[in-house]
Amino acid sequence: MNVPHHGVGCDRRGFLSAMGVAAFSLRDRDEAARLTAIQDPVAHADLTWDKAPCRYCGTGCGVEVGTKAGKVMAVRGDAANPVNKGLLCVKGYHLPAMLYGKDRLQYPQLRKDGKLVRISWDEAIALIAEKFAGALKDKGPEAVAMYGSGQWTVFDGYAALKWMKGGLRSNNIEPNARLCMASAVMGFMTQFQSDEPMGCYEDLDVGQDFFLWGANMAEMHPVLFSRILENKRQHPGVRIVDITTRPSPTSEYADVTVVMQPGSDLALANGLLHLLVKKGKIDKAFIDENTVCKRGIEKLEEIGFGCHGEQADKYTFADKPADATWDDFVKFLDEYTPAHVSKLTGVPVQQIEAMADMYGDNSRRTVSLWCMGVNQHTRGTWMNNLINNLHLLTGKISRPGDGPFSLTGQPSACGTAREVGTFSHRLPADMVVTNPEHRKKAEQIWGLPEGTIPDKPGHHTLDMFRAFARGEIRVMWVQTTNPWVTIPNLHRIDRKPGDGRFLVVSDIYPTPTTDAADLVLPSAAWVEREGIFGNSERRTQHWKKLIDAPGEAKEDAWQVMEVAKKMGMGNLFPWSGDWHAAMYEEYRKFTLGNGKDLASLDQLKATRGMLWPVVDGKETRYRYAAGFDPYVKKPNGVHFYKAKGYGEKAAIWLRPWHPPAEVPDAEFPFWLSTGRVLEHWHSGSMTRRVKQLHQAVPSAYVEINRADAQRLGIKTGDKVRLTSRRGKLELPAVVDGRGKPVQGQVFVPFFDEHLLINRVTLDAMCNISKEPDYKKCAVKVERA
Amino acid sequence: MNARFRFATFAAALLLAPGCGGEQDPNAPTVAVPGKPGALKVSAAARAERRLYDGAPPVIPHRDFGASCLSCHTTTGIEVPGTGFAPPTPHTDVDPPAAMSRCVQCHVWQHTSDVFAANDFQGLRQDLRAGKRLNDLAPPVIPHQVLLRENCRACHTGPAAREEIRCLHPERDRCVQCHVEQRTVADFMR
Repeated sequence: MNVPHHGVGCDRRGFLSAMGVAAFSLRDRDEAARLTAIQDPVAHADLTWDKAPCRYCGTGCGVEVGTKAGKVMAVRGDAANPVNKGLLCVKGYHLPAMLYGKDRLQYPQLRKDGKLVRISWDEAIALIAEKFAGALKDKGPEAVAMYGSGQWTVFDGYAALKWMKGGLRSNNIEPNARLCMASAVMGFMTQFQSDEPMGCYEDLDVGQDFFLWGANMAEMHPVLFSRILENKRQHPGVRIVDITTRPSPTSEYADVTVVMQPGSDLALANGLLHLLVKKGKIDKAFIDENTVCKRGIEKLEEIGFGCHGEQADKYTFADKPADATWDDFVKFLDEYTPAHVSKLTGVPVQQIEAMADMYGDNSRRTVSLWCMGVNQHTRGTWMNNLINNLHLLTGKISRPGDGPFSLTGQPSACGTAREVGTFSHRLPADMVVTNPEHRKKAEQIWGLPEGTIPDKPGHHTLDMFRAFARGEIRVMWVQTTNPWVTIPNLHRIDRKPGDGRFLVVSDIYPTPTTDAADLVLPSAAWVEREGIFGNSERRTQHWKKLIDAPGEAKEDAWQVMEVAKKMGMGNLFPWSGDWHAAMYEEYRKFTLGNGKDLASLDQLKATRGMLWPVVDGKETRYRYAAGFDPYVKKPNGVHFYKAKGYGEKAAIWLRPWHPPAEVPDAEFPFWLSTGRVLEHWHSGSMTRRVKQLHQAVPSAYVEINRADAQRLGIKTGDKVRLTSRRGKLELPAVVDGRGKPVQGQVFVPFFDEHLLINRVTLDAMCNISKEPDYKKCAVKVERA
Repeated sequence: MNARFRFATFAAALLLAPGCGGEQDPNAPTVAVPGKPGALKVSAAARAERRLYDGAPPVIPHRDFGASCLSCHTTTGIEVPGTGFAPPTPHTDVDPPAAMSRCVQCHVWQHTSDVFAANDFQGLRQDLRAGKRLNDLAPPVIPHQVLLRENCRACHTGPAAREEIRCLHPERDRCVQCHVEQRTVADFMR
């Protein structure tokens, strides 16, 4: 795109003298002479600009990518993208350098005598095929596993799912999304029988009261938080309520920061439901028309906390849903009086009543937003249920500015992990392997004989890694994620290559996970390949390949398809040439006609993404809402048409408060919570290679309350030792940093591969979603 | 937050900050000297040092004074005793709450000079030929995105304006009346 500038075409001096020169133009002439005297090889106009979604979080900001001569040289916020309207965060602005770390993996490497040695792709593909085939032959489909992520593009996830479930006939496929939004999935599935929020980001612009449950939006979803702040600037009546255990940068912008005891959020939410019912601040007509009541197993001793301690290797749990009545629900809420809830949560009674009044005020629009504080929780599914309950009771749902909105952390946690269904129990478009009709539909679309897909779910993530550690899984392939940093209680999955099992890892940089691998494959990243991501608001975004990947790096979907072909499963991927369009059209068949309808590839290419369901070429901003959702035939109101099992109504669940799995005691007196920082994304393998981001937050640290620090003689910068029942870690202290834990609590970010806080964390999990709780365990804090 | 309160906070932080009192940061980039040969390139290099590429938000080139960024980087900028002139913010509507009120969402401190791993990224450099004009009497066009840079004066007027882009007529208030953003490099096609 080398279009010449509109330069000074004529002889300047001649022109000026002919015109007679005014004083100001003399000054301008000097300026022009200065500028034209300097030459620079590449100008903005020399770049080719194309659209792509950002590589990092689930917000899905649009960027314009400036390329020249096969390199990305700049990005800018895409003003035409409705997600971010031109704004990015610091990670997005520094995105292009992520591709150019000097230690990019460029060639397949096999570990020989402890060292990684370069091999060819042919050798690598043959070896993987041999290992998988061998394990299948010896031990069956339960001995193989694939672990991917919410950073897989739709293509990668679809290829992996089809190969595992349709080719190897194994349900042992999981995404790391199990660690971050499985509880949100189970919340939506148990209540609406269809995953993902009903609203969209427009809620942030038109909502009036925002409840943030366990979400540090200012750091984790900065561009979405900016949308709320802009709404508040334009409408000063907008209120933000930050419900948290750790005051964070988000709290600085909140009208009220509600600080609660760790794990007491279910008590708080039930307390709000109690007050709404008691004060009659509910929409009874909406409830009668659109909801049913349900309850499951509620006794602590029947549920436990899953997968840690003595239960670790034999933990099983299945909820037993049963019908309940409205009267059961009212009776169930009896005990959650403001006084009782205040005692459990540490939240003053006045604050509890004020929050209930806000939710119950039918003259104002209310949005609940939540993230890891709610999802990474031993009762994560339940807490999701309670937040959705608040909106079902008040009828504040499926309307612009009214609704429960779950935030996601990975760029395609929704588009790939959830929609393609790369979980051990799922199939595309809300289907599950335990349903014979669903298996049949998948087998039909895939042209496979009936009975190909096994009906028993495979291992969920934590169990998958434990089964690998136990040796039951013999061969595992990890793509696009870094479990040897991110799995809680890492001790349980420690391994040295050469233990008889075989680990394949596809990534773009060396990580602790490639250190654990027997075979390392180089992957193409982001705009080095064509891709599709789906973000938190059901927006599916496509980008085209803009540059070549370095060395012999290949996209993950290609790697899977080559191995499948080598194993004689080429029938799964029959497309020749550019297969992306054919694969997408096949995947799209799962979604059409059932309310999950994806846009055509041409539409995705032409737009900044579309919100599904896309029917007759039109996107849906509000699911289940008359006037918005083409599947709703009612003239007004809502219709939860996906919830066939509940008579097309949404379920209000009775979910009690339970104490956390581990609470501080005399020996381990502090609460430990873990999380992210604005500058680093996920395990830091990309962002740490960007100078500006690394230099902003060079290492992990422990945030400690000022009073605790004084009592223990700890100052900012001092080395502190954290010890839990599982492990210990020494790291520098920060007092009064960006986050300000209350007394008795500490916080550590998890991005630092040299300071692995997951050697300290607890691997207890939600009994329904199987998502671990990274936010609550007990530690000892000492000066090191 | 009103400006006076913010300045008081800042002044207090300045007094408490150790080693304060106008000492030069040894890592501070060389500032261009007007009229000196090569000054523009030096100035451009100093600017580039703080950015990953032309168009990326600059990192914060000074230490943390413990005050709100907006207490010094006001819409006009202020002279900070013993430190120098704090350039104004190029963003409009920055007072909280507002989309642009969280400065550290895009601008970050640099707490170390080491790197985690070396990086070969070659970023887009500033185009010093940019700002073309039809002829010597025509006003130059705006060679960059105006988005997030709506306060033209921040970079083009006042003590913080770099020599090569300093506006010669700051008294004329409505910049975009004569200078227009170039949104495409393509010509009109009928």
